[in-house]
Amino acid sequence: MKLDLPPHCQILLNGLTNPACLTRYCDSDWELLIRMARRVKLLGRLGLLVKEYGTWDQVPPRVSTQLTSGLVQVEKLQQLNRWELNRVLWALNDFDTSIIALKGIAYSLAAIPHASGRLSVDLDLLVHQSDLADIESLLVVKGWKHRPLSAYDEHYYRVWSHEIPPLVHAERETEVDIHHTLIPLTNRVKIDPKLLFDAAIPVKNSTIRLLSPVDMVIHCAVNLFQNNELANDLRDLLDLHDLMVFFSERTPDFWTWLIDRSNQLKLSKTVFYGLYFSQLIFNTPVPGKALVRLHARPGRLKLWIMHRLVPLALFPQHPDKPMLSASLARLLMYLRSHLIRMPLYILLPHLIYKSLRKIRFKSRKSRS
Amino acid sequence: MVVNQIPFEEFHMLLHRQGLRVAIGPFNVCIHTSYKPLIEQLYLLYSHYRITQDEIAEFHVRIVTERSLRNPFKRNIRFLLDGQSPFESFPQEQALAVLEWGINLAIAVRVNHLLLLHSAVVEKNGHVILFPAWPGSGKTTLCTVLSYQGFRLFSDEFGLMDTQQQLFLPIPRLMPLKNESIAVIRNYLPDIVMGRPIPNTQKGTVAHVRPPEKSILLSKHTCKARWIIFPKWIADTPVKIEAISDSEAFMMLASNAFNYEALGATGFCAVADLIRSCDCFKLVYSDFDSVMEVLHQLTNET
Repeated sequence: MKLDLPPHCQILLNGLTNPACLTRYCDSDWELLIRMARRVKLLGRLGLLVKEYGTWDQVPPRVSTQLTSGLVQVEKLQQLNRWELNRVLWALNDFDTSIIALKGIAYSLAAIPHASGRLSVDLDLLVHQSDLADIESLLVVKGWKHRPLSAYDEHYYRVWSHEIPPLVHAERETEVDIHHTLIPLTNRVKIDPKLLFDAAIPVKNSTIRLLSPVDMVIHCAVNLFQNNELANDLRDLLDLHDLMVFFSERTPDFWTWLIDRSNQLKLSKTVFYGLYFSQLIFNTPVPGKALVRLHARPGRLKLWIMHRLVPLALFPQHPDKPMLSASLARLLMYLRSHLIRMPLYILLPHLIYKSLRKIRFKSRKSRS
Repeated sequence: MVVNQIPFEEFHMLLHRQGLRVAIGPFNVCIHTSYKPLIEQLYLLYSHYRITQDEIAEFHVRIVTERSLRNPFKRNIRFLLDGQSPFESFPQEQALAVLEWGINLAIAVRVNHLLLLHSAVVEKNGHVILFPAWPGSGKTTLCTVLSYQGFRLFSDEFGLMDTQQQLFLPIPRLMPLKNESIAVIRNYLPDIVMGRPIPNTQKGTVAHVRPPEKSILLSKHTCKARWIIFPKWIADTPVKIEAISDSEAFMMLASNAFNYEALGATGFCAVADLIRSCDCFKLVYSDFDSVMEVLHQLTNET
């Protein structure tokens, strides 16, 4: 099946995958590209690509100023992330445990190409479930706080989620998300974090560790196709593409290991979607036999539906002319993400609670 | 082409259909709305802005009307930036104030290629004076008076600084007077064009002053700063201007900027160089005549 994208999505995709074509972009293409890239957190990435490709001087001035602004923002957030990690490690210095960095900060530490253009807002860490309570209280003693939460949200995090309520230090703004596993506990799919810790890799001159390359890729796919709602998540699919290109070039057996690990962790269906859409959208060089070796794959009908819906959800809407089909795709993906995340007896009350709160919140806002 | 060179119907059409693009300082803003009362106000208050339909716009904003959730018979307005709504809806009467706040917010959160100081900025004799101050210190009111009394308006809100060239960029926007200032300015400057007062906004009653035509016309002319003056209006006090130390000025300026921290070392060096090249003062005043005297004295000394 081929990728069939609306024209505005094509403008974004071409800009991200083929910087050479940007020299042919007219003003209105550029304007749309910037607006959409910003919407999916890829403005900094785009700026980095233009810089690397050496065509910065050919970009219209009103575009290069916006790319600069995007790059400054990305740089600042990454600096805040690094500093927050430094502070967390300092706060936990005397506590004997192992901590794994996840997502944006991990991609920087692993020196994944283009990681310096990634917009990373929160600091994500994985710790042992058994150390979780100690780590949380140590951080709270040293100045981190939870944001005020409703009793329901507290319950949601503590009982069903794969992370505790976010922590923010009193003097800073970066949110620290501490995970004890990679998939919500209510999900039918389970993962044994011990396997991840056993395979984790140390980082030079630091006590922090990283997931092994294959686990990092699997986590990225899990996050997209198990945990997220996919709307505007194009950046995360691009992360996945970057990771696979980087690791497969450095490790000859990367694909074999990736498939074996996915089968071992019983995440082959999720990984299948990751490989499939990364290849479909970004032309990731996934070997054909890799997909076939995955133990669980979606059926033909299911894949056909996902093939239609996922790109429409991942790409941003046209900022002036939102498409009904894309809104529908997003709604369906939202429902899908919830259906796989929770059993119905939790899901239905959860959705009702969320909608009621939204209405109450809106009316309170309009009253004030 | 300037807004007042096109007929109202065409202006209306632009806002309603493809969006009206106007140059506001270094930025182009594309505005969409079909809300007639807002269009009428904009036709008057935006009349000197240059229309830039064929250029890239950095900001795409919309004012849309929607039914109020609590009272289905009432309509509210909502501000959208690239189709996203950064704040709640407001009563229709506040459309202009919400549009202006929305554009300010968009500039404040997105622009990082310039240093954004929180300051009123005017120019005299080719030199810029910065009036950095916190909300409520009367900087908009002072700025309005100065910009209609021989000073060129750069901004009542944003000190836009090109950090490489140490230059300030004008961004003359509508000046929102608040509460008592409205009557004060009406009396002091009876001839200026001001929008209808909008009561019950988040900041009380607000009325927008149209920037002087000349300031908008010259808004590509950048200048270096020469003076930094921290103003404070205190009722019934005689005017007093006193020099302050560089370090004090640095802390006040840096801690009251929009993106000083985001710019990191660039921001630090820019503010340090700026302070070094400027004379810094604290100003207390209660009436405009004496302030004008002090400022004319200061600017003509050189």
